[in-house]
Amino acid sequence: MSTNSVASRLQKARKGVGVAGPGPAARKPASRRKWRLSARAWTLIAFAVPSIVLLLLINLYPVIYAGIQSVRNGTLISAGSFVGFSNYRHILSDPTFWHSALFTVIFTVTGVFGSWLVGLGLAVLLRTRIPLAGLFKVLLLLPWIVPVVVSATSWNWLVATPQSPLPKLTHALGMGDVLFLANPTWAKITVCVFKVWISFPFMMMMMSSALASVDNTVYEAAKVDGASSWQAFSQITMPLISRSTYISWILMTIFCVNDFPTIFLLTGGGPVNSTTSLVVLAYRTVFQDFQTGPGVAIAFVMTLVLVVISVVLYRQIRKANVE
Amino acid sequence: MSIAANLRQPATVSDTAKPTGTTSGNAGKWWRFALVLVITAVALVPIGAVVVLSLRPALGSTSTAAVTLQNFRDVFSQTGVKTWLGNSLAITLITVLIAVTVAAPAGYVLSRARNRLVSGYSLILFIVQSLPIVTAVIPLFILFSKIGLVDNLAGVTIIYVGSEISVAIWMMAAYYNSIPIALEEAAWMDGSSVFGGFLRVVLRNSLPGVLSTAIFSFLLAWNDYLIAVVFLRSDPNYTLPVGLETFFQQNATNWGLVMAVAVIMMLPPIIIFSVLNRYFSVGGIGGSLAGK
Repeated sequence: MSTNSVASRLQKARKGVGVAGPGPAARKPASRRKWRLSARAWTLIAFAVPSIVLLLLINLYPVIYAGIQSVRNGTLISAGSFVGFSNYRHILSDPTFWHSALFTVIFTVTGVFGSWLVGLGLAVLLRTRIPLAGLFKVLLLLPWIVPVVVSATSWNWLVATPQSPLPKLTHALGMGDVLFLANPTWAKITVCVFKVWISFPFMMMMMSSALASVDNTVYEAAKVDGASSWQAFSQITMPLISRSTYISWILMTIFCVNDFPTIFLLTGGGPVNSTTSLVVLAYRTVFQDFQTGPGVAIAFVMTLVLVVISVVLYRQIRKANVE
Repeated sequence: MSIAANLRQPATVSDTAKPTGTTSGNAGKWWRFALVLVITAVALVPIGAVVVLSLRPALGSTSTAAVTLQNFRDVFSQTGVKTWLGNSLAITLITVLIAVTVAAPAGYVLSRARNRLVSGYSLILFIVQSLPIVTAVIPLFILFSKIGLVDNLAGVTIIYVGSEISVAIWMMAAYYNSIPIALEEAAWMDGSSVFGGFLRVVLRNSLPGVLSTAIFSFLLAWNDYLIAVVFLRSDPNYTLPVGLETFFQQNATNWGLVMAVAVIMMLPPIIIFSVLNRYFSVGGIGGSLAGK
C-alpha cells in the first residue's frame, strides 16, 4: 500500500487491477497515520459494531452451532445427546453423499465456465460497434434479474412434460422424445444449462467492465505490427483481463456451490437423486427426512471445505495485489 | 456533478460501446448484429413465454380473445397474491434500508482504516460471503423457533440483512476507495469530526455506491427462495417466491394464472433495473477484492 509510485501503478494497471475496482489514481496515500487519535478510532469502532453484531449472530453463531449439532443426535426441537462422529460415518458411507458431491462439482464447473464463455463472448461482441448495443446489454441482463422462482416456473413449462414446447420441437426435428427432466442424464444437462442461462449476464457485466478498462491504443499498436484479431484477443486482451476473469471465476464458484433454488425448483434433486447437489441434500435431509444430525453434518463438511478454499483464495488475491 | 462521481468511471453495462481497434467492414458489423440478435432472442424465450402465457385466456375459459387481463383479475381475487406482494415489498424494503444503513459506515472502516484488526475483519467478510446459506438456516431455525421468529416476517428480514451484509459492506468500501481521502482531510482541517467528515463529505458523494448496494440488496431479498421456504410456514406470511411456488404446485396445468403471478413477481426488479441500471456495477462486487 505504501508504494504508490508511478512504476507500481503502471504495473497494477497492466495486471488489470483497475479493471473492476477503483482506478489506480484514486488510491489514497498512506492512511495509517490518520487513525492514531483515539476519538477517531472510537468512531470507526462504532461504525463497525452493528455489522459485527449481525455477522456474529447470523453468520458465525450458526456455523459454530452446526459444528456442535453435527456430533449430536438432536432434532429441530431438541438438542439431543453427544454421539461422536456417527453422523459423519453415516453420511460418508452413504453413496448419495458422494453422488451429490460429484454432481456439485459437475454443476459448478459447467456453471462457471459455461457462463464465463457466453458472458465473455457477448461482452466482446457488444463492445464492437453494432446497432442497438445499449438495448441488447439491458435485455441480456434479464435472465439474471428475473427471480429464479419465475424462471424455474417458465423452464418447467418449456421442458417438463412430453407435451411441453421443447420436447415437441426435438420430436419434430427427428431427435426422438427427449425427457428433459425425467431422464437422469438429460436432467443433469438441463439443470446445468439452466444455471448457465441464469448466470451468463453476471459474467457479461464483469467482463464488460474489465474490457472497458483496456486501452484501445494497445490494439492500434498491435495492428501496426500485423497482429490478427484473434492474436490481439488471445495475446493482449486475455492477459489484461486475466485478473477480473480470475475474480469472476471465484465468485461464480461460490454462487454455484451454494446454489439451492436453481436445482431445487427445476428438478427437486431428481430423478432418483441424479441432480442432487450437497446443498439440496442437506436441505432434504433436515427438512424433508427430519434427520437433523446427518443433515447438519453435510452442511458442516461443505462449510469447512469452503472456509479452507476461501482463506487460500483470499491469501492469493492479497498476495497478487501486493506484488 | 460531485467530484467523486467525476473521478469514478463506473464500469456499468450501460456504458456506450467503444469501438475496438479491430477493423471490420460493414458486413462484419451486420453479422455480429445478427448473431447478438439471435442470442438475445433465444435467451429471452423463457421470459417472453411468461408474459405471453399470462395474457392468454385461462384454461376452461370461454374467451376467444387473443389477449386478456382476466388472469390478473383472477389471481388477485382468488389467491393471496396481494398479501404475498405486500409481504415481499415490506421485507425487501426494510432489508434494503437496514443493510445500507449498516453497510455504509462499516464499508468506510474497511476502505480507510489499515491495521491488523481491519485485515481480520476483511478476511471474515470474505469467508462469510462464501458460506452456504443452508448451513446458517438450520441452526437459525432452531434458535428462531425458540424465540418465536419462525413464520414471522421480522425473522426473515433479520436473516436477509445478515446474509447480504458482507457483500454490501464490500460494495460500499469499493465505492469509497474511489473518493480521495484529501476531501476528508480538508474537512478535518476545518474542524469536522470523523463522523461529520464521513456524513458530509464521503456519504454525500457516494450516491451511486449507495444505490448500487441498495439494488443488490433488493435483488437478493426479493428473489430469495430458500430462507423464505424454511421460515415462512403459513399462507398469510408467504412472500411472492413461496406463494408462487405453492400456487404452481397446486395449479401446474393452469399456466395463465401461474404466469400472471410470475409477471407480478418479476415486474419490480425489472422496473428498478430499467430505471437505475446505470448506477449498478457488479464491478463493485469484485472491485474491493481487486482493489486492495
